[in-house]
Amino acid sequence: MVDLSLYAIEALLVLDGEGKRIYTKYYRSPHEKPEQSSQQHKTSVKQQTEFESRLFKKTHKQNAEILLFEDSLVLYKEYVDVSLYLVGSADENELVLQQAFTAVKDSLDLVLATGIDKKNILEHYDMVALAIDETIDDGIILETDPATIASRVTKPPSKDAPINIELSEKGLLSAWGFAKSRLAERLQQGL
Amino acid sequence: MSTHTYKKFEEAESGVLPDKMTIYQDCLNAFNESPVNSKRCRLLISRLLQLLAQGETFPKTEATALFFAVSKLFQHPNDSLRQVVYLAIKELSAVSDDILMATSSIMKDVQNGSDMIKPNAIRSLTRVLDESTAFSAERLFKSGVVSKHPSISSAALVSSYHLLPVAESTVKRYSNETQEAVSDLKTFPYQDGLSEHYPNSTYISQYHALGLLFMLKHHDKIALMKLVQQFSSGNTLKNQLAQVQLVKLVGSLLAKDPQLVSQFGPLLLGWLSNKYESVQLEDAKLITSLPDRYVSPEIFASAVQTLQSLLAVPRVTTRFAAVRVLNKISMIAPEKIVICNPELESLINDSNRNVSTYAITALLKTGTSNNIASLIKTITNFIHEISDDFKIIIIDAVRTMALKFPEEWKHILNFLVNVLKQGEGGFQFKNSIVEALFDLVQFVPQSKEVALENLCDFIEDCEYNEILVRILHLLGKEGPSMKTPSLYVRHIYNRVVLENSIVRSAAVVALSKFALVKNDPTLVESIEILLRRISNDADDEVRDRATIALEFIESIKSNGESDPSPAEDLIQSKYTYDLASLESKLSQYMSAKQESFKKPFDASSISRYTEDERKAIDLKKKQEQMFSKVPTGKSKGKSTVSSDAEKRNGTYAGPGSDEMDQDLQSAKFAEELGSIDDFKSFGAIVNTSKDVPLTETEAEFVVTGVKHLFKNHVVLQFHITNTLTDVALDNVSVGCSPATSGDDCPLSEVATIAADRIKPSETFATYVAFEKSEEVVTEDLLNTLYFTTRELDPSTHEPFDGDEGFQDEYEIDSLPLTAGDYIKGSFVGNFSACFDELPNHEVSVYNIRENIPLQEVVDKVVVNTSCLTFDNTQFVSTDSNTHTLKLYGKSVLNGARVALVVRMIKSSKGIALKVEGRSDDPTLCSDVVNEII
Repeated sequence: MVDLSLYAIEALLVLDGEGKRIYTKYYRSPHEKPEQSSQQHKTSVKQQTEFESRLFKKTHKQNAEILLFEDSLVLYKEYVDVSLYLVGSADENELVLQQAFTAVKDSLDLVLATGIDKKNILEHYDMVALAIDETIDDGIILETDPATIASRVTKPPSKDAPINIELSEKGLLSAWGFAKSRLAERLQQGL
Repeated sequence: MSTHTYKKFEEAESGVLPDKMTIYQDCLNAFNESPVNSKRCRLLISRLLQLLAQGETFPKTEATALFFAVSKLFQHPNDSLRQVVYLAIKELSAVSDDILMATSSIMKDVQNGSDMIKPNAIRSLTRVLDESTAFSAERLFKSGVVSKHPSISSAALVSSYHLLPVAESTVKRYSNETQEAVSDLKTFPYQDGLSEHYPNSTYISQYHALGLLFMLKHHDKIALMKLVQQFSSGNTLKNQLAQVQLVKLVGSLLAKDPQLVSQFGPLLLGWLSNKYESVQLEDAKLITSLPDRYVSPEIFASAVQTLQSLLAVPRVTTRFAAVRVLNKISMIAPEKIVICNPELESLINDSNRNVSTYAITALLKTGTSNNIASLIKTITNFIHEISDDFKIIIIDAVRTMALKFPEEWKHILNFLVNVLKQGEGGFQFKNSIVEALFDLVQFVPQSKEVALENLCDFIEDCEYNEILVRILHLLGKEGPSMKTPSLYVRHIYNRVVLENSIVRSAAVVALSKFALVKNDPTLVESIEILLRRISNDADDEVRDRATIALEFIESIKSNGESDPSPAEDLIQSKYTYDLASLESKLSQYMSAKQESFKKPFDASSISRYTEDERKAIDLKKKQEQMFSKVPTGKSKGKSTVSSDAEKRNGTYAGPGSDEMDQDLQSAKFAEELGSIDDFKSFGAIVNTSKDVPLTETEAEFVVTGVKHLFKNHVVLQFHITNTLTDVALDNVSVGCSPATSGDDCPLSEVATIAADRIKPSETFATYVAFEKSEEVVTEDLLNTLYFTTRELDPSTHEPFDGDEGFQDEYEIDSLPLTAGDYIKGSFVGNFSACFDELPNHEVSVYNIRENIPLQEVVDKVVVNTSCLTFDNTQFVSTDSNTHTLKLYGKSVLNGARVALVVRMIKSSKGIALKVEGRSDDPTLCSDVVNEII
């Protein structure tokens, strides 16, 4: 039977430059019994960290973007001191996973105005967690448009003004920059 | 809070995890404060999330306390705080008790909250519900599904999807709304300049609605067909994930009923030129995984074309996906993707190593004898630039190619020798090259001389003892039979002079084997001299081996030509044991009690293989490996999307699969038979056939049969499984009557052993033994199952006391004793030469009227004759209508050789077969040829 399940994603990981955890989430359906879960081998924290360190060793400084790792498809991107990983089932459509991965990556880019690095992620941890949550809901791809995701993530309240209207130059610039890169990508794809 | 922890808490960038208990205390305090400090609370929750996301867990009571503290924050109206509150609830709900308490607060938000937090509320709601409370949220979910806001709609759909395992009936009640949501295009509302981002509408709620709908209707084929019709037409589906999902749906329908391919044909073809690459890819995956006979070659070709175009896309993921599919096809039908070769070749140097690995292995599979040379040249150019583990993959692929195209050995050998001599690379890499050379030496006799010479060169400077020892062993085995044994002696003796004791002792053993060379007495003498010199070696092991070898040579000499001495066997062993069964026997012996050690270990019960037999087994295993080594991993995955491809793979491996298991199985049977007194007088088993089914697997009583050949007897072993749940079978026996009755019958029944009682879902064996003459006897045996059924008392699972039961019989398939049962597959270096030299000749012609694939016929012939196939002829190329099958085996009775060439042609009328057989034994020859199908 062909897998029609919407549960496409097994895990999303953010590791730092030494392979230590920054954000890790292994997905499983909230109402399914644990033993029926498809990735039962990655349930305990120990197994997870072992998996992560093997994965990190395999991918660090390799710049391959996608690989088949221990019966899962892994898409990843390395930044200066963090790496993003998306782990999906091996028979999932690679390009669908790519969509989800790009959504996470680009929405983080938008949410973290000054780029993806470890300091930035730790400082805006709530926004990172929200952005990922708005992209993937327990393994189901919830949204793939980075701008939609970013606009669904609220900023932390400031004490003085509960509603924060930010029309600063920085915000506009980043939106413009993003629009430009998207346009370029579309054009490239068309060619 | 101490200043120390406080400081740590502020220094987020230090990367140190905030202290678990500090956060716990702070959370409880801050969340219960009044008024709530929203900024501080959000910061605390952020830290809490960080803890949870890094794998920290709280004990249940603390988690519950946190959960309640967090839910207190619902009184604060700030959306931005509320959003993280929902996230925290989502995370904590998995580890807390009494989460139902939060239901009403969340429900309130789902009804009245702002658009910003409504989706979050809905998604949290599904976490706190369970089987008993899910129904209460039906109305909320329903109104969420129909909402115009895409995020709310998606959230409701995804949440319903999560609920399916516990509350399918509730979700079913709004399936109409779900269906409407599929075609509803919801755009993201304009946000009044509140946001700095400009959302594009992806219409992803279509994907969620479609996914949910499939799950709700997955039992209803007609409804699913309708869905496909409805959503594939026009422009209903805008979202690409939704379109991919639709392709998958068609795939699942086709998996259940491949006949539908013709109906979906235009659709499949259309998707191949879809504007989304993901849809093209999914469609191509689907088409190429369908069973061959249902897919027209045109569609398949255009699917390959689509994949070909995807190979040239700049994005790595796309290339990776496409080359992965092509690689999979190359395992089954390499000729179909030959047109992609230029693209694949350009991918060999791809920056992504996975892509290049797939490309190379695919190329090596599609390689024909024409392009092997150029392919190898390409590989040679870049093999030095890549890492070891990748090199090993390539070497393995080259090695399988060497077996596939023995006539191309020159190029392959050159390549292997080159990479071997380059010096770079670790043990694993060198070892895999040496393995490949070993294969060449064993299975491609023409290459033997050159390969051995190169190995000799290699051991001159090899740093790995393990490899050295193996090569020395091989030289000792093969060297004496070569044209110039003295050459190898020199190389081996060099090792004795230069290497450490491990290598020296291996070299001594190898040297001693050259003493058996018959035609060169001077060589034997010089070896003796060498060995005598070695017996003064510094290492005792080396000395011992040399002394023993000298002793052996002495005893052989004194015995003279006519009387082969046992020492000869010790130097050059004629057979090896079946290692798997030897191991199990030995460990059995060791684990038994002390007294069993009084008796020496009995090795005679372990099957031995002569050199040729072992080669045959090796070759068979390797041929299978070539086709089973699909690098897609994931056994679960194979059973889903690629199930059909797998199935086809399965039939390909058919004739020889579970070879290992069979060896073990026959050893097990032999043990069982040995324990039955009636059969003890029959002697040792000569051959054991495969376990063949004699009934449908769905039958009430499932019977399989095995034939055991003894020198003068045949024993049929029947395994009977009772699949009924409330009936036991008593006095079960199988009546076996030979088809030719009366005095002509070559078989006479000597014993029958029945099973006393077979309870539900138990399996028992019954036996029938026949006496036969020593020659090859073939006979059809008609079988009937006799038994008494007795109904079982469901409470005790014992038959009712008064029940006499009634007798019954049951017709099962016949179990013919064929010529194939007397043959064991065997290996020969040069098939055609061997075929020509065999004396007895027999030809026979068959016509098969049914329209079945050639592969099926080939599989059947291979099984029936139990011979080993040669030159890769067990695989029929899928697009040709003719095939030539080469088979070789040896009689188990007298070792007579049998070689068969089966030519087949497929036409519209059926399949015509011409069997040409040659053998040492005329009766066996005619029997085999006349009973091939």
